[in-house]
Amino acid sequence: MRFELRPGVRRLFRLSPSTSERIRAEFDDELEAVIASRVDHLVRHGMSPDDARREALRRLGSALDDVRDSLRTSAIQRGRKMSLTDWIESIAQDVHYAARGLARRPVFTVVAVATLAIGIGATTAIFSAVNALLLRPLPYAHPDELMKVSIVMPGRGDRPTNFDQQWSYPKFKFFRDAQRAFSELALYEDIQTTLTDGDAERVNAERVGATYLRVLGLKPAVGHDFDRSLDASPGAARQALLSYDLWRHRYNADPSIVGRTVQTGAATWTIIGVTPPGFKGLTGQAQIFTLLTAMTADDLADAQLHNYWLVARRASRVTAAQAAAATAVLGPRISDAFPSKFQPAPWGALAVPLDDARIEPTIKRSLLILFASVGFVLLIACVNVASLLLGRAGARGREIAVRLALGAGRGRLVRLLVTESLLLALIGAVVSVGVAWVGVRALATIDPATTLRVSRESGFGAMAFSSIALDWRALAFALGLSVTVGILFGLAPAGATRAELTDALKSGRVSGAGARAPITRRLLVLTEVALAVVLLAGAGLMIRTLGNLLRVNPGFDAEHVLSFRLSLQSASRDSVIGFYQQLADRLRAVPGATSVALGSCAPLTGGCSSTLFARLDRPKVESGLMPRIRIEWVSTSWFSTMRVPLKRGRGFTEADRAGAPDVTILNEASARAFFPNEDPIGKHILIGLRGLDDVEVIGVAGDVRIDIDSVAPPAVLLPILAAPRLQTMIFVRSTRDPASLAPDVRNAVRDVAPRAPVYDMQSLTAREAAATAKTRFSTTLLVVFAVTALLLAAIGIYGVMALAVAARTREIGIRMALGADGRRIERAVIGEGMGLVAVGAVIGLGAAIVSTRVMRSLLFDLSPTDPITYGAIVVLIVITAAAASWVPARRAANVDPLASLRSE
Amino acid sequence: MALLKGTLDVLVLKTVSGTPMHAFEIASWLEERSDGRVAVDDAALLQALHRLEDRKLLTAEWGVTENGRRARYYRLTAAGRAHLREESRRLADHFDALLTILAAKAGGA
Repeated sequence: MRFELRPGVRRLFRLSPSTSERIRAEFDDELEAVIASRVDHLVRHGMSPDDARREALRRLGSALDDVRDSLRTSAIQRGRKMSLTDWIESIAQDVHYAARGLARRPVFTVVAVATLAIGIGATTAIFSAVNALLLRPLPYAHPDELMKVSIVMPGRGDRPTNFDQQWSYPKFKFFRDAQRAFSELALYEDIQTTLTDGDAERVNAERVGATYLRVLGLKPAVGHDFDRSLDASPGAARQALLSYDLWRHRYNADPSIVGRTVQTGAATWTIIGVTPPGFKGLTGQAQIFTLLTAMTADDLADAQLHNYWLVARRASRVTAAQAAAATAVLGPRISDAFPSKFQPAPWGALAVPLDDARIEPTIKRSLLILFASVGFVLLIACVNVASLLLGRAGARGREIAVRLALGAGRGRLVRLLVTESLLLALIGAVVSVGVAWVGVRALATIDPATTLRVSRESGFGAMAFSSIALDWRALAFALGLSVTVGILFGLAPAGATRAELTDALKSGRVSGAGARAPITRRLLVLTEVALAVVLLAGAGLMIRTLGNLLRVNPGFDAEHVLSFRLSLQSASRDSVIGFYQQLADRLRAVPGATSVALGSCAPLTGGCSSTLFARLDRPKVESGLMPRIRIEWVSTSWFSTMRVPLKRGRGFTEADRAGAPDVTILNEASARAFFPNEDPIGKHILIGLRGLDDVEVIGVAGDVRIDIDSVAPPAVLLPILAAPRLQTMIFVRSTRDPASLAPDVRNAVRDVAPRAPVYDMQSLTAREAAATAKTRFSTTLLVVFAVTALLLAAIGIYGVMALAVAARTREIGIRMALGADGRRIERAVIGEGMGLVAVGAVIGLGAAIVSTRVMRSLLFDLSPTDPITYGAIVVLIVITAAAASWVPARRAANVDPLASLRSE
Repeated sequence: MALLKGTLDVLVLKTVSGTPMHAFEIASWLEERSDGRVAVDDAALLQALHRLEDRKLLTAEWGVTENGRRARYYRLTAAGRAHLREESRRLADHFDALLTILAAKAGGA
């Protein structure tokens, strides 16, 4: 059955009959006419009407119905062909007409295209980031089958439940052998190691299970994968895979690499292959993958040593939900098999799709907020272009009205307007690819390793900012966006003009504009101002947050301090002390260096190590219930080098070393937490369970932050000479710029220890900057968006007011002729602009208060309804509105009454 | 008398080469000019008219007959005129050749 619209419906919507219907009716009429003419003719020659009709039907040649059908069929086919060619022809005509129209108004066209290009380009750039970091499938075979399996460690005291706890080897073995949901499982651990054959090189690495690549569905580019049997038990052969990158830069892509060995400290590894290009492990940074089971059974025996992440591929026909359920069921069984003294409450296990773990929640949130913000900018850009087109439609009112009167269909006219805006949008899209390309390059060059770690805390960092690129998805996105935008803001003015058009024809007014700017344009400007206010609120809050972060006193003086890490291979305790003494002397001899300190932790870079803590003058508690405390080993000169003040008691001396009584300095946070209203000096405490069971507190030092946005947690400082370490952090304070100091420091270290790798060399100010990088990233982009939005809104206000003044030139002229003061007219125009803005700003402020709530987790020491921010926005928007309406107001005040009256 | 295949189109073009006509007029004119020897089915004529219109050899417009009836009037286009000239010559050649053969003595080897 054919689908046909009922005529009533057709009339209701004023649809013209379809082409084929019209043709059918036309040829039915003609057939009737031919028959009627013949009947007339025969009757005139004396035949009776009945006979004449019979004769006429006979002369048709076949039955009437058949004739009608065959005529109709051929006619409709022909009609279809014609209407298609007509259609193409008229489209071509429309495009030609639109192009000519745009070329005739170059200023309008350039402004509109630039506005759109900025809007679409910025949106596309941010979409690329969203695409790369959130949407694009993980670069492994069937990534949807991959899951991250974690242990759930129940919370205790003020410590929340950890849903992403790593595995210990015994627990993993238990899980692997008990489960059926996964076909392949592999542990991996994020480590750092030093390649010691040839030039010493410190690299990121992963310890991995033998089936690591198999889980991910990857095959080595060179050589072969680990043999599956190597997973069976600890103490397996020392085998390693190189990353493609390491193979290229350290081994010159040597094709005979397989079978050679690589040295990491005392261990020698046999290279069995090279991973595929681009692959750097799930941590996103690994250069070498060593076999986890090459560790000894002793190393892997501790069931409470939770060091390893677990990635697994689901067995076929097992859904993610089934796998998660099966994993959850095994959690309590693992807990029973390996009871923890520290946390007796039952532990659990959790499997989540690897894809869900790909990005840190705060980065995800920032990205989505940025995406929404850039969407606002696009919206404002569209509103401006719609407003521009509306202004044009107004100016062309009479032309359009005449076309309507001459019989141009309304549909055709709308199509013309849509074609014009579509053409505009597509040109905008082409230019926007350039804008997007620049934006994407800027985003991708944000160094993922040092500034924005995408998801290192969950052991998974494969989704780096460097993977952001303009791909076909992003381009398709830009194209789809511009087509939508083109149709939408083409239709808006087309719809809005209808009423005005008839007016225009009736009144004969040339401009088509009313006494006031058309209500539609006023609404558009109102919307623009509201959107700009929302963006300004977001940007303002981020600026305030950044300001608060930068004002934070981290507890040390970062200026003019260079820091780096040093890793010694092996040495006896005594020779390490001697070595450090020698190194410190040599570093102090570097021109400009004023003091040198050793430490175990870098400030402002998150966790270091922590351990259990107890006061010896209080009743003994079970170790599982002891509070934890951060522990840091520092040299005697650390306080003066870092400029950390000693609040009470004494600092460390050269005598505080192994063999002497153990002493410690508390930070203020731990003095407050554990010795409230007491003097801790002289008290004895226990630190950890490995020998520091009677330590005397000798001083209290100022707090040093380990995270920029939270107060320092309780910590104890211990003298590094009491337990010299192979890996240390070294700080050099100097009178010189740390960057210029760096080569001299490297040379100095080489003089003393030619084989020890120096790495992670940064000034402390750079470490400080890295701590605020995420905030600076979001702030910069939001500010750019907000400023763009404000500028676009200013252009919008200006456009509307200029149009209003132009339309009222005659009225203003009459008023002036009647003695009105130019100043008063100027004030009136500015007042009108401000009124418009005030309404938009109030709506925008309301929307901002609601929408900035999603930013709460990104703000630091600031409420989302911060009055200073909102006050500043109001001032800013008032100034912008005044400035934007000032030029049209001046023009109004300078109207020459005579000239304006003569002009019409 | 039935028409030779392919000749109806050229006859129709010839018919409307003077003044625009509607379908019944065309049928009548052909009948009169051939002294009643050529009779065309109205259905076939309409098909031919539409076909020629489709090929842009004719154009059509609604008008009113002397009897006050609505009818579609067909007119020759420039392309139609050229086509008519060409086809007329081709047909003339064709019949000339045919007649020459028919008039000749039957020949042997």
